[in-house]
Amino acid sequence: MKTPRGAEPAGPRQAEALATFGRYAGPATLILSSLADGAKHGYALTKDVEAFSGVRLAPGTLYEALSRLESQGFIEALDSQDRRRPYRLTAMGATALRVHLDDQRRVADVGLTRLGRSWGT
Amino acid sequence: MKGEPQAPGEQASTARRAARLLRWYPAAWRARYGDEFTELLIAEFAERPRSRRRAADVARGGLLARLTRAGVCGNPPESAEQVRAGLATAACSAGAFLAIGIAMWAQLTIGWEWGPPRNAATTIGMTSMTAAVLLLAVLALMAVVPLGWSAACAVRDRRARHLMAPALLAVAGAAVLAVGSHHFENGWPGTGAHAWAQQGLVPGGVAAFSWAATLSISSYWAHPAALAAFPTAEIAWMAVSPVALIAGVAGAAGLVRRLDLSPWVLRFQARLAGSAAAVMAVFLAGAGCWVAAAGSRPGLVHAGAIDTVGLVVMTAALAVARRAVRGAARTAPGLPR
Repeated sequence: MKTPRGAEPAGPRQAEALATFGRYAGPATLILSSLADGAKHGYALTKDVEAFSGVRLAPGTLYEALSRLESQGFIEALDSQDRRRPYRLTAMGATALRVHLDDQRRVADVGLTRLGRSWGT
Repeated sequence: MKGEPQAPGEQASTARRAARLLRWYPAAWRARYGDEFTELLIAEFAERPRSRRRAADVARGGLLARLTRAGVCGNPPESAEQVRAGLATAACSAGAFLAIGIAMWAQLTIGWEWGPPRNAATTIGMTSMTAAVLLLAVLALMAVVPLGWSAACAVRDRRARHLMAPALLAVAGAAVLAVGSHHFENGWPGTGAHAWAQQGLVPGGVAAFSWAATLSISSYWAHPAALAAFPTAEIAWMAVSPVALIAGVAGAAGLVRRLDLSPWVLRFQARLAGSAAAVMAVFLAGAGCWVAAAGSRPGLVHAGAIDTVGLVVMTAALAVARRAVRGAARTAPGLPR
């Protein structure tokens, strides 16, 4: 994460807080975003999410989110390839992701505008 | 996948590591996700052979999956399954709560047999606990009747084979507890007062039976020399009775999980469980009132360290029961009518 002008981390704790801020984006959003361009199995999902967000989803966290998203009907499992099973986004999952990302974008726009006005970043 | 191709021996070792980690998860989860999760773990091992954070994450995920399956958190795919899981967890928590609570209450009833409490707070606490025990007994009876009816219907329709193991466990546990408690109640240190006599909060027989059933919950375990002075049969009963109690509760919970209960019965049971949790809170308040008021003062109704520990465990059991009941109650109204 880029450090805003005039807001250099005061110590290692602040630096870590800034560096890990994005980690708290929910795993569900990351998984749904990854599946938005096609079906993927567990390991491919982990690598794709890491590539576009810098967040490495640990196996327990990944499958906790996958099983919840599946039970909610946001994703569905396809026939397994060998022992790996790909998942794909459902229409409901696509709608949920779009609504959530639109909300996030509104929040991001407001936050960035206000930061620009008050902090010049 | 990254990493060099593995030798057969190394592959077997990696597969064993993955299988070990997979054991954190419940059997039903493993049946659904086990293969693909193992593949993911093997791929992860190839990329990062050792990671404590990953092991901790898998352990956390497995425990969470177990709690979800127990109806304590999350949402299992099927609503009836969630209600059954929540009810079974509530039954187990109530079993733990009552084992400790009844031990506490039975001790107080003995004290009351010898002389009434000296302060109003203890009297109120003990009376609330007694009223709560009575209400819980009524609620338990109301819960058992529809469950028994559903089990009888399953037997009639020859669909009861899968119920045999938990039913046997429940009956065996209850029978051992009933027969043993009836036998050991002869050693009760009360006065033998009769029903609702002036110096008795509850009938002597009930107090003696409760005392014998919960004899194992005792601070004597921390004092082996004093414990050794007990008759051998009584020490054996102190070791056997908790096993019987656990078997009885586990069998009952297993029955709830396996019985094909109608939506009406599930809703009814969820409401009963909600009421039971409220009554348990009254019992806990009464016990807290007694411990705070009687505290360390000497006398037949004084509270010791074991009672304070008991209060903490009962609070935890009640919290788990309330969470499970809330999950069951939230899901039950949505069941098909």
